[in-house]
Amino acid sequence: MGDRSKKPEPFLPLTPAMFHILLALADGEKHGYAILKEVARRTAGKVQLSAGTLYGNLARLESSGMIRESEHRPDSGLDDERRRYYLLTELGRDVAIAEARRMQEAVDQAYSKKLFRKPGLA
Amino acid sequence: MPGEKRPFSERFFQTILRAFPFDFQSDYGGEMAKVFREQQREAEIRGGLAGIVRLWTETLIGVFRTAPREHWEILKYDCAYALRTMRKNLGFTLVAILTLALGIGANTAIFSVVYAVLLSPLPYRQGQQLVFIREQAQKMGVDDIQFSVPEIQDYRQQNHTLSSLVEYHAMSFTLFGHGDPERVRTGVVSWNYFDMFGIKPILGHTFTPSDERIGAPPVLLLSYEYWKNNFHGDPKIVGKTFEMNEKVHTVIGVLPPVPQYPNENDVYMTTSACPFRSSKNMIEHRDHRMMEVFGRLKPGVSLEQAKADLATVAGHLQSEYPKFYPPETGYTATASSLRDELTHDARPTLIVLLAAAGFVLLIACANVANLTLSRMARRERELAVRTALGAGYSRLFRQLLTESLLLALIGGGAGLLLAYDSLGLLTNFAARLTPRAREIHLDTGVLLFALAAAIGVSLIFGTLSAMSARGGLSSGLKEGTTGAGSGRHASLVRGALIVAQFAFSFMLLTGAGLMVRSLYRMLEVNPGFVPQHVVVMNMHFNWSKYATSADFALASRKILDRVTSEPGVLSAATSSSYPLEPELITFGPNTGDFQIQGRALRSGEAPPVADVNSVSPDFFRSLGIPLIEGREFLSTDDAKALHVCIINDAARRRFWPHEDPVGKQVSFDNAKTWNKIVGIVGDVREFGLNKAASPEFYGPMDQSPNPSTLIVRTAADPAAMGERIRRAVLDVDSQNAITGIRTLQQARDQSLAAPRVTASLLGLFAALALLIAAAGIGGIMALSVSQRVREIGIRMALGAQPSRIVGMLVAQGLGLAVLGTGIGIAGGLAITQMLKSLLFEVTPTDPATFAGVAIVLLGSALLATLIPARRAALVDPNIALRSE
Repeated sequence: MGDRSKKPEPFLPLTPAMFHILLALADGEKHGYAILKEVARRTAGKVQLSAGTLYGNLARLESSGMIRESEHRPDSGLDDERRRYYLLTELGRDVAIAEARRMQEAVDQAYSKKLFRKPGLA
Repeated sequence: MPGEKRPFSERFFQTILRAFPFDFQSDYGGEMAKVFREQQREAEIRGGLAGIVRLWTETLIGVFRTAPREHWEILKYDCAYALRTMRKNLGFTLVAILTLALGIGANTAIFSVVYAVLLSPLPYRQGQQLVFIREQAQKMGVDDIQFSVPEIQDYRQQNHTLSSLVEYHAMSFTLFGHGDPERVRTGVVSWNYFDMFGIKPILGHTFTPSDERIGAPPVLLLSYEYWKNNFHGDPKIVGKTFEMNEKVHTVIGVLPPVPQYPNENDVYMTTSACPFRSSKNMIEHRDHRMMEVFGRLKPGVSLEQAKADLATVAGHLQSEYPKFYPPETGYTATASSLRDELTHDARPTLIVLLAAAGFVLLIACANVANLTLSRMARRERELAVRTALGAGYSRLFRQLLTESLLLALIGGGAGLLLAYDSLGLLTNFAARLTPRAREIHLDTGVLLFALAAAIGVSLIFGTLSAMSARGGLSSGLKEGTTGAGSGRHASLVRGALIVAQFAFSFMLLTGAGLMVRSLYRMLEVNPGFVPQHVVVMNMHFNWSKYATSADFALASRKILDRVTSEPGVLSAATSSSYPLEPELITFGPNTGDFQIQGRALRSGEAPPVADVNSVSPDFFRSLGIPLIEGREFLSTDDAKALHVCIINDAARRRFWPHEDPVGKQVSFDNAKTWNKIVGIVGDVREFGLNKAASPEFYGPMDQSPNPSTLIVRTAADPAAMGERIRRAVLDVDSQNAITGIRTLQQARDQSLAAPRVTASLLGLFAALALLIAAAGIGGIMALSVSQRVREIGIRMALGAQPSRIVGMLVAQGLGLAVLGTGIGIAGGLAITQMLKSLLFEVTPTDPATFAGVAIVLLGSALLATLIPARRAALVDPNIALRSE
């Protein structure tokens, strides 16, 4: 139930933890531990979320409507059905995209100032 | 895995999860525990011990970084929610804030006085070591005798418990060289006086030992106020010179603003600069006593040890100079802490006022709790819905507490403004009780007190409202019930709160009633003189021009001749003091021991003691003091004539209970001169309207001249005559200084100022309490009526008379008030004992006051219940039955 009436801009900039959580949910719903693993894997262990940080951010994202709890439960054989699964809302996706764009713009400006070169254009 | 004991690490994790808000715990606690378990398993496999340590570190940091943010988020949400609710119920909010503001304001104001006067340390270096030393003649009932110069030297040399001992006395000198000749109040002190107190001047330096040597060039220290008011805080004042006592005095420094005790002075000089203190007569005579003495305890010495030490020195003096300290006087010396000296007059009053303000706060608290409860009755649907939607009870509790806290903080802020506003008034009031009044201000301690009061108050009424909410949440959603605020549990709480309000109001009103009655008694008491149409003033002579007693006697005669020639003057007199003179009230009587001719003292019997006063012939006529027997003084009772005296009735009752004293002879100077008693006059309450007259001897001004005050009875308004009389006195000698011009009525009013303010403050607190309690019972009745509209409708439909309905409701309200009053009477009987030392001719259990207060309290309860009850009786049964 993405809230289409909400604009993503007021939520920007996101904290790095929030952004990573939204990214982790971009390709489908996950439970808490899976989000942790996904973030650690994607950042090659550079971002390690603790349980407190993770759920603090999940609570914040949930209350602002960027994620919500999924009603869908995986097969009890595959996973613990008592776990809570989270999925990205429309707003969450919009916010993640807006944040990525914002960062993109910042990186582009760094290129234009010739701080470093775009990869692959050597 | 039920039943299986979880490992320590998991239990520990559960424990630290408690740092999160309760709702967060219940929402995410389980999930977090699962995640942590998996993280731990993985860390064990991959990283071993190092991995575990790292995990724990990150976890702890994560929890303690996230938890405060979660609390903050909830607080923000709750505050916003509370503000919305408060805006929606503006009436309730304003009444609650006003009630709390009055309660917290009254407490903060009184606390600021108590804190400055009774609690904070003295503004002197290690003030707890400072002591006030006095000599006593215990067997004669005299407990505060001043010191002579030889005595000061003896105590300074012979004591073992004091690191320093300094002297002080106050004089009044004329200062020339700064505009008109000016009378300055002068403190005459030892060179190390200010060093002993640890007072550092803000300009210049304090005295040095050489300043106190006989013949040293005189130097002056100015008090902060004198420097500010008379020299506009001139930063270049040090080094300026003035003439006093025909000598040039140089200013060497300015003192900081500190409480001056025993009295306030304009300037300070050393003992060698005072013409009296440095006279041979003073220095040599062991019985020329006029100095106060202060000391500092050596480190580690207790007050008790110092007392014992001083008593030992007194014993030595007694055996060394038996002539000066005869055993029948019970001579000794003792010490008391300076802190006690500075505050003992204020203590009982301030404690009573603080207790009264505390009662007001409790009543305010009970009232706001009641208001909250009645509001809860209207909010319970909302609360029940929120509970049904998953808000846990503790979440609601937190929400209600936040609301209360917000209300209390706003109320506290407003109360602080009230307190700040009343500070000037309170300082003036306290100044009549203690020199520490100048230290009163709103500082951190007071602000913390106000904050603590607000938080305490919010905890009390927040908890009360939450408790009642709990009782009714389950029923809140049921159709037709009115739920939490109306349940049996809640109405019991509300009833109890009303009872408590009435009990406390009763005690406060009784306290105030007793004080007012006591004040009224003081106003009614016969002072023994007629204060109307009398103007009085203090006269200060330029001492250097008046060397002998005859000079003063002559000056007195000249002044009286000149003053009585003024039109509108009916009679005039000079005397050493006048009744209710402020200095007289502060310092007490000038007492002397005497002997009665033909009456030998039994061995070991202390000589009789009486107050002595020199007065000119028209003294009694001017003051309207009745002559009971014999004659008044005549102008022929001069220095060459037979020495005579007049006694008051108290002296007659004490010393000649079974015979006529007129014609008897007494001596105040070891039988060198005998004074014949020629008359008896009525008793005068000289030292305060609440103090009975003590035995007093009056001597003729010409025989023991001391014309310090001028008393003039006028035909017309005495206040208008003051200035003319002052000029008449200056006509006689322009170097005289006149101070303290006031009517005797004003002196009388001033002597009543402290009890008047105490009674007014208590009265104000009691009125507040009554208002709050009456509004409280009225509000509760209104609520009860609105909740029982249906029941009332049914009763009326069934034929109940409106008067029966009114009776039923009034009985319900009055029942609570009667119960509260009953408890109040019991409490009042116990607590009014606190007032005992402040009351005059009224017992703390005065039945008339108790009965009067009960009538007032029940009367207002009746009025407050009658209004909503009458409204209930006007209910139309048809409308009432449809109201649900």
